[in-house]
Amino acid sequence: MTAALKRFSKVLPFNVFVWILLALYLAPVLFMIVTALMSTSQLDDKKAPLYPARIVPYTYDGQEYQLYNVPIENRIQPMALIKPGRASSLLIDPQHPENGLIEWRGDWRTLIGVYEFHIAWENFSHLFDSMPVSKMVGNTFMLAFIGELGVLCSSIIVAYGFARFSLPGGNLLFYVLIATILIPEKVTFIPTFYMYIKVLQWRGTVLPLLVHLFFGNAVYIFLLRQNFKSFPIDLEESAMLDGAGPLRRLVSVIMPQAWPVVITVSLLHFFYTWNETRLASLYLGPSSSWLPVSFAVQNYQSLTPIQNVIEASTLIMLIVPVLILFLAQRYFMQGLIITGAENKQ
Amino acid sequence: MQITNVLRNKISAIPRVSVETRFKRQVGLILISPWLIGLLLFKFAPILASFVFSFTDFHLLNPDQIQFTGLQNYRIIARDREAGIALWQTIQLAFVIIPLQTFVSIVIAALLSSQQLLAKNTMRMLFFLPSIIPSFSAALMWDGFVDPSTGWLNRLILGPLGLEALNHFSYGDASRLLFIISSLWTIGPGILIMMGSMQGISNEIYEAAHIDGAGRLKRFFKITIPLITPAIFFSLVLNLTAVFGGAILLDRGSRWRNDFSSYDGYVNFVLFDMFKLGYASSLAWVFFVIVMIIVLIMFGTSKRWVHFPDREN
Repeated sequence: MTAALKRFSKVLPFNVFVWILLALYLAPVLFMIVTALMSTSQLDDKKAPLYPARIVPYTYDGQEYQLYNVPIENRIQPMALIKPGRASSLLIDPQHPENGLIEWRGDWRTLIGVYEFHIAWENFSHLFDSMPVSKMVGNTFMLAFIGELGVLCSSIIVAYGFARFSLPGGNLLFYVLIATILIPEKVTFIPTFYMYIKVLQWRGTVLPLLVHLFFGNAVYIFLLRQNFKSFPIDLEESAMLDGAGPLRRLVSVIMPQAWPVVITVSLLHFFYTWNETRLASLYLGPSSSWLPVSFAVQNYQSLTPIQNVIEASTLIMLIVPVLILFLAQRYFMQGLIITGAENKQ
Repeated sequence: MQITNVLRNKISAIPRVSVETRFKRQVGLILISPWLIGLLLFKFAPILASFVFSFTDFHLLNPDQIQFTGLQNYRIIARDREAGIALWQTIQLAFVIIPLQTFVSIVIAALLSSQQLLAKNTMRMLFFLPSIIPSFSAALMWDGFVDPSTGWLNRLILGPLGLEALNHFSYGDASRLLFIISSLWTIGPGILIMMGSMQGISNEIYEAAHIDGAGRLKRFFKITIPLITPAIFFSLVLNLTAVFGGAILLDRGSRWRNDFSSYDGYVNFVLFDMFKLGYASSLAWVFFVIVMIIVLIMFGTSKRWVHFPDREN
C-alpha cells in the first residue's frame, strides 16, 4: 500500500501538469457542457455565477417570485422581490412573510440574486421537439452501416494487395495512392458534382454519399497496409503450403491479427459519417427522408439563436460517438502504427 | 511471319519474369482493382474533365452554351486580386498551422506515452475527444468561449492572470489567432499516429542509451524523434491536406468557417454563388498544380530526413 502511495506521489507532478494541459485543451468543451445546462435567463444575467444556477424562487400568495440579497438595516438579507422598480421596490421577508410588503429604496437592478445550483433540463427536450431525432439517428446508422461495409471490404482487400503482392511498376502505384490523398478535393469535385446532379440525376438520393466508398479510401488503405506489413509472414507461408489461396490467407491469417487496426479504421469512418454534413447538404437537401442527424442538427443550430439550446444539442450529438469511443478505447487507443516499411525496395 | 519473329524476339528480350512472380502480380492487381477502378472513376477522369472545363466558359445555369475560350480563364486568374489574396492567406496559414499541429501532436503523444501517466486510456480518450466534435459545433463553442462578456476566456483565464481582456474575435488578427488555436482540435488522428510509432520503439534502445548516460531530453531528441519520422511525415501529409482541402483522415463535416477567406472558400464562392464551373475549374487546377509541386518537394526531401528502417538493411 505504501509502495503504491510512494509511486503515486512520485508521478503526481507530471500528472498534474498533464491535467492542467488537458483542462486548457478542453476548456471550450467544459464551457459547452456548462452552458448547455444553464437556463436562458441565466445567460442574460451578467451577475450570475459560472456554474448552472438560478435565482432561488419563492412562492407568495400563489405567485412565484425570486430571492435577492438586499441591503436592509445595515445588513444583507435575502428578500423576495415582489414589485421591482427603479426608485423603490416592494419586498417580502421570506422568514417572516406575515409582516407583509416592505418598501425598499434603490434600483432593483443593482441587487444580486440568491443563487442555487440548478440544471435546465428543458434545453435538451427542445431538440427532440423540433425534429424526429431518432429517425435521423437511424438514417445515420444506416448510412454508416452501408458505408462501413463498402469501405472496409474494399480497403482491406486493396491494402492486402499492396502489403503482400509485388505489383507491376514496383512501388509506383503505392506512391500514386499516397499522392491521391493530397489531391485538393476541389479539382475532382466540379465534374463529379456535375455528373451526379445533371447527368445521373442522383440529387435527393443517397448514392453520391455512398458509391465512392465501395472503391476504397486511400487513407484507410494506407493505414491498413502499414499494419498488415508489420505482421510476420511465416504464418501466411505455412498456410500457403497447406494450399490456402490469397483470399483464404487474408481471412484466416491476416484478419485475426488485424482487429485493432480494422476497429480503428472503422471507428474513424463512423465518426466521419456521424459528423458528415457537406455531401448531405450538396446532394440530399434539407427535405430528404434520408436526412442524417448531423446535417439536420447543423441546420437547427444555425437557425437557433439561443446559446444554451445550441450547446445542449451539441452535447446530445456527442453522446453516441463518445460512448463508442469509450467502448472501443482498448483497441482505438493503441495508436495507429506507421512504420517506414513503405519504402521497402 | 516475319512480324511474329520480330515480336518473338522482342518478347524474349524482356527480362524473364518467373511464372510465380507473374501470378503474384496478377493476384495483386486483382486485389487492388477496386481502388484502381475508383482511381480512374473518381480521380483521373474528374481531374481530366476539370482540366477541359478550365478552358471553357462552362456555366451551371446554361450548360448547353458551353464554349471554348482557350487560356482566357487563366489570364483572368493572373489578374484576379481576390484569388491572389486568398491563395496567399491559405499558404501563410499553412506555414503556421501545419508545424504547430505537428509539434503539438508530438508533444501530446509523448506525454500520453509516458509510463508515469495515470489512467492512460481515459487521458488518451479525453485528448482525442475534440477531434470528434463536428466543426460547426466546435466553431460555435469557440465563439461562446471567447465571447467578451459571457465567455470564459476573459473571466476564467485572462482575468485571473491579470491579462488584458480581449474584446473581439470576429475580425483581424484575433480571429486569425482563434482559427490557428482551434486548428489544434483536429490533431486527434495525428496524436494516434505519433503514439503508435512511439510504442513501436523497443525499450532496449532506450535502456542502452540510458546506460550510456543519455538524459531524458537527449533520448527524446536522439531516439524518439528520428524513429518516428515516418509518422511525422505521414501526419505532415495529412495536415497539409486538411489545410489545402483534400481527403482528411477525420473529416468532421463542413470546413471550419467557410467565410474565412481561404482559397477553398473562394472557389466555393465562384462555384456556388456565381455558378461559373469553367472559371472554378481553372482556379482548382492552379491550386492542384501548386499542391502537387509542394508534394513533390516533400517526397523529394523525405529521403533526407525520414528514417526508413528497411532502407538501411
